[in-house]
Amino acid sequence: MNRKLLYFAVGVCYLILIIYGLYAVYTVEATLRAKEVPAIKPENKIAIAHTEIFGKLERPQVIFDHKKHTEAFVKEGKKEWDTCDTCHTVEQDSLIFDFPKKVVKKDKTSVMNAYHDECIECHKKRSSENKKSGPVVCADCHKEKEKSIEVKYPVFEFDFYVHDKHVKKLKEKLGKDDCSLCHHTYDIHEEDEELALVYEKGTEESCYYCHELDRKRGPELAAIARVAAKKGLSLKTASHLQCLNCHLEYQKEAGKAGRLKEDEKEAGPTECVKCHTGKYRTVAELEKIPRPDRDQPERPYINIKDAKLKGVTFDHDYHQKTHKNCRVCHHETLKACKDCHSLVGKPEGNGVNVARAYHDVFSEHSCEGCHNKKKSEKGCFGCHYNIAPMDVETMGPKKESCKICHSGEIKGPLSRPPLSVAQLDPEKVKKEIKIKVLERQYEPAEFPHLNIIKKLVDISNKNKLANYFHKDIQTICEGCHHQSPAEAEVQKDSPPYCRNCHAVAPDLQNLQKIRLLTAYHNQCMGCHDAMQLEKGSKLRSKEGNRCADCHKVKEKGPESITSVKNFPKDPWKYPWYGGMER
Amino acid sequence: MNRRTFLKVMGSAITGAAAGSLIRPGVSGAQGVFDDKEFFGILIDTTRCIGCRRCEKGCAEVNYLPIPDISEKANQDIFTKKRKTSVTEYTVTNLYETEKGKVYVPWRCMHCNQPACHSACIVYALEKRETGHVTWDKRCIGCRLCMMSCPYNIPQHVFDEPSATIQKCNLCYGRFLQGIVPGCVESCPTEALMFGTRRKLLEEGKRRIAQNPGKYVNHIYGELEVGGTSTMYLSAVPFEQIGLRTDLGLKHYPEYSQVYLSAIPFIAGITPIAMLGIAHVIRMAKKDAKKEEHHEEEHHEDKIGH
Repeated sequence: MNRKLLYFAVGVCYLILIIYGLYAVYTVEATLRAKEVPAIKPENKIAIAHTEIFGKLERPQVIFDHKKHTEAFVKEGKKEWDTCDTCHTVEQDSLIFDFPKKVVKKDKTSVMNAYHDECIECHKKRSSENKKSGPVVCADCHKEKEKSIEVKYPVFEFDFYVHDKHVKKLKEKLGKDDCSLCHHTYDIHEEDEELALVYEKGTEESCYYCHELDRKRGPELAAIARVAAKKGLSLKTASHLQCLNCHLEYQKEAGKAGRLKEDEKEAGPTECVKCHTGKYRTVAELEKIPRPDRDQPERPYINIKDAKLKGVTFDHDYHQKTHKNCRVCHHETLKACKDCHSLVGKPEGNGVNVARAYHDVFSEHSCEGCHNKKKSEKGCFGCHYNIAPMDVETMGPKKESCKICHSGEIKGPLSRPPLSVAQLDPEKVKKEIKIKVLERQYEPAEFPHLNIIKKLVDISNKNKLANYFHKDIQTICEGCHHQSPAEAEVQKDSPPYCRNCHAVAPDLQNLQKIRLLTAYHNQCMGCHDAMQLEKGSKLRSKEGNRCADCHKVKEKGPESITSVKNFPKDPWKYPWYGGMER
Repeated sequence: MNRRTFLKVMGSAITGAAAGSLIRPGVSGAQGVFDDKEFFGILIDTTRCIGCRRCEKGCAEVNYLPIPDISEKANQDIFTKKRKTSVTEYTVTNLYETEKGKVYVPWRCMHCNQPACHSACIVYALEKRETGHVTWDKRCIGCRLCMMSCPYNIPQHVFDEPSATIQKCNLCYGRFLQGIVPGCVESCPTEALMFGTRRKLLEEGKRRIAQNPGKYVNHIYGELEVGGTSTMYLSAVPFEQIGLRTDLGLKHYPEYSQVYLSAIPFIAGITPIAMLGIAHVIRMAKKDAKKEEHHEEEHHEDKIGH
């Protein structure tokens, strides 16, 4: 009896456990699928979320339609420039585009209360005055369907075109150049903060230098950026302050004079999407626009005192026209490179010496870094994928290429006469070459030698960078006939053949030196790949026709492609079977 | 322990255990160097491979395998699927779509420095030669323990022969003894496959990585994987994308079974004795209990007697 009871109890326990187990299996919370954030057109809307203060939001974010609010005022007959101070603070005659006005402390409750007080109070007031008003109930602003909407404005680029337009307009209005309206510098040594913001002619720089706060800067600028950060003047805030205040002021002026129906045309936009269009001008479009004049030299002769190499004539005029802004090279200030980068390196230049400042291959601001990037373009990469840049450890870099820049001529040539194949001796430079050294299964490859040279010369002549650095036609030859020991050659003007260095048999002691078959294939196909050619490329050639791009299969070629068998066919006769010692 | 590690450990442990007294250490101290001789190997640069499949043809020729059709027409179909090595194809080339476009990857025995198949083989058919080659021969009895133990799934079983054996790439050991590079290396037109001592190959691989900044992933696959292998890969894209397993760890495979196997003599020797001991204790306890009962009874009788 007792035993039966025991079995029964155990059985019940198991049953309960099983039920719990099943329950656990079926109630596993399904992993949340990442929702796609619907990107909407900004359309002058602002997403109010403040996740940096609130963290995870209790209620959905509020999508605030700014234009709707300003239009409401305009419809009542107010002028647009007079309506701003309803919501935004005015400080010393200029608006500060902050909302709400009365945030006491930057914590959850006070920010929340400030928003609620200001929005709802105004809405209530207006509805009591029987004017068109906004919502006062929670869910009318905090809409569930707008929960995961992202409002993102594309960055506005204040490029040379816009800059030039501003300069011209201002000159029209004021009758003289006045850069102080926008440009200023911050004197970090001035003790009185009121006086620290000054304008000095000739020191104009981009806003980015001081107001882009999340970038690492040198010691002096870092101190200035810290002040900017303390005042909350990030690039976004600072540029809105500067641009909008000025635009509003001119709107007011134009509007009061009743000059224009559409005030913005004359005074600049105040609507979000009119600046943040998401369209950017290309370098080519900007080429004709004059660059801001800041007494920059047209062609400075860069000569560092006590430097080892001769000076370099630098075509500043050309380089500033091939870039969208000055910051590409002048990464920290608009000073000359040598002001911060000395021969040994100064703290202002972060310890980077002048040699590296100009020659760092991996930098975006150095000469060689930028030129190196250019070399990986389609036309250039065919040869240059195989030529290591000067500063990287190379197999004997050609030192004579240094003197192309370091010429020591104060007025060096801006460009060289175009290369031409006419100078080539048709006896030495064959028109067509049949490569038959390795002929076996395939017919000899026909190599249009002269046509290739012509094409390369053509590419070189069309590119200004190439035209300058490819001093003579021998430079083009070196693209394929690489590592020519020119000084030791008997026939000086005939570059070596592939077979002069690359042997047919593999060299197991010197793996770096590939065998002849490989040399041909890698050189040709590597170049065709890099230049993105359709024919003779590893990946771009049409499948099924790749080998025939260069050589046809012989009709009566040898069957076998290998020389020696691995072992006797009968496994019992393997040389190592049984007989070999372990 | 998940399924993966379980199989990994048990693969070599069970196979080893089955071998019983034939288990060899399978672990040599130095990696890559063996009695003053060096391991040889193949460095495969996947950025150089053009997918011509001549290595497959060369391999088939030197190893008396059926010659594959490597015309470019046939290649179009071949590359649509991922192939595995088989008894008729010791090496295969597969095409992978990666973040940097198409990449062809030749695939063959990795010739591990400490091969799992070698330590699993119970009849000395799979050997690690002192020159790095992992060879097989006709001693094979077809137990397929090596197939189970190989992390790369390389040894393949012949099913259509009465005396079934294992076959795989042996890095052309026969040609090597004659001083000639393997068939696949000889027939490669771009030297995507490079033969040499493992030390030189690593040197060359590292040179290529250093001299072409940004071109390669900064690692030579096979330098450290499963204790180092003789077939090594250079790649421009992460190795997972070209079908190379990166979840195998750096330990060589025989080491996984070593702990288990070294415990066998201990367990096998001690257990019977321990069992005997326990049996003895139980028996003694029973005897004691009986005696006491007996004693008590006597005592009882004594009392009655009084």
